[in-house]
Amino acid sequence: MIATALSTTGFSQEVFDAFLAERDEPGWLTDRRVAAWSQFNKLGMPNNRDEEWMRTDIRLFHFDRFAPFAGIEAPSELPPALLATGVDLAGRSVSLDSRSLSNEISDECAKQGVLFGSLDSLVKEHGNLLRPYIERQLVDPNQDKFSALNAALWSGANLLFVPKGVKVARPFHSFTAMSAGGVDLGKTLVILEQGAEATLLTETASTDPEAGGMHCGSIELILEKEARLRYVNLQNWGSGVWHFAHQMGHVGANAGLQWTIGALGSRLAKVNQHVALTGPDAEAQVNGVMFTHGKQHLCYNTHQHHKAPFCRSDLLYKSALQDKSRTVWRGMIKVDEAAQRTDAYQRNDNLMLSTAARADSIPGLEIEADDVRCTHGSTSGRVDDHQLFYAMTRGYTRQEAVRMIVSGFFQQVFDRITIESVRDALGEAIGRRVRDIEE
Amino acid sequence: MNEFTPAAKISEITDPGSLLVEIDEQLVVLIHAAGHYYALDDVCTHDGGPLSDGPLDAAEGSIACPRHGAKFDIKTGAALTMPATKPTRSHDVKIEGDQILVRLCDN
Repeated sequence: MIATALSTTGFSQEVFDAFLAERDEPGWLTDRRVAAWSQFNKLGMPNNRDEEWMRTDIRLFHFDRFAPFAGIEAPSELPPALLATGVDLAGRSVSLDSRSLSNEISDECAKQGVLFGSLDSLVKEHGNLLRPYIERQLVDPNQDKFSALNAALWSGANLLFVPKGVKVARPFHSFTAMSAGGVDLGKTLVILEQGAEATLLTETASTDPEAGGMHCGSIELILEKEARLRYVNLQNWGSGVWHFAHQMGHVGANAGLQWTIGALGSRLAKVNQHVALTGPDAEAQVNGVMFTHGKQHLCYNTHQHHKAPFCRSDLLYKSALQDKSRTVWRGMIKVDEAAQRTDAYQRNDNLMLSTAARADSIPGLEIEADDVRCTHGSTSGRVDDHQLFYAMTRGYTRQEAVRMIVSGFFQQVFDRITIESVRDALGEAIGRRVRDIEE
Repeated sequence: MNEFTPAAKISEITDPGSLLVEIDEQLVVLIHAAGHYYALDDVCTHDGGPLSDGPLDAAEGSIACPRHGAKFDIKTGAALTMPATKPTRSHDVKIEGDQILVRLCDN
């Protein structure tokens, strides 16, 4: 067990060497990890003079205050999985503190050649199959210190591989938990070969909702031509967790990706979400639901990259902010010269439930083609007093009225989510958090 | 009410000068000007910029944000110039021996 072999704290060379010694992985993968580790040590911490980081202050974050693979005592009970309630699943996986705990896949899927579960194990058994996908390196280890760290030390990772033409109707579910003060270095790799279809629900949670910890993760979604993926990612860490993530989707010709993000937890989140439309007629719909409270700071940088003609992308992020919390959304639509007849849209709406909350909304367009339709929009506003008054005259308490209005605010994005359990889980989690409007 | 916490030694800050310190998971800029010590949140209320990187004007009693030049009163944290319109938090400071102690204010 890694947990017992490593006791050194921090991200030291000793920890990395012991990590590698325990892995027993193919040489090509070890080489990649070593190169990324070298890059991690070379790169400096991002600082607030960098445009990408100037609104997200991480000077209070210190790597040496965390102990990866430190063998924190596993809790007797994991937090409940919200997205899987009442859902008939094709497979499920559970990990804790970057260690895989259990993996299940239905016999039917296994017979069709679907792989689902721990990437740590599956890469040893199916190295030749997975190598070209891992080597595509969708998330660039050189992008920043966090992407390099994840590339070097990912573990407790998830894989979903669906072979050519296989269509899986039932969703897969992956649950990633973190104990108090723990470290998660998870990675999610989804590969849909030509014409494959699947749904993957992933969610994260801390064993203690107030707990601290650190997540440095990555997500890579590879959709070959004509593949279709519905992917849901609910981030529900404890309120003291630092969350750093690089997420990248590659959508091939005639393929379709529906990507829904729910961001509810963590102390500070800095996420880069990138969707690349790489083949003609590819399509991506990106949905984001954020609810912040306390002193939370959630920063999402989204990127819709049109590389091929006739592609469509549609992004909608909606945030409600309570207390002294803050959200930052920076969105970019980039259209390459070859991507004629692009149809791209991005929108961010913010509902301010407190005068002390703050939302920064920064949409952007970078267009090199000359025959496109690219539009964006952003709104920020408070709850309308007249709506509150009207609801209260109909017998609702003030809190019920606020909850109803917040729920209505998110309805537009919930309507786009086609999975009932996801709609219910997000709606319920947000409803529990809403208190009142603060002057 | 919070307790006074040792934040730095007197010898660590010249006059005039400033020093960034971390107190109870918060970033605070300690300021030494005209023989007095002050403590402010290290955040510009306009754009979140780090005041500890900005110029200190001891004669005027202000510190400016390095991004857009908004000035804040080093004694009270009041916003003195645009584009900031809201004060940044100021904290209580006292000296004991060679130690600078800071008590974080709650609001």
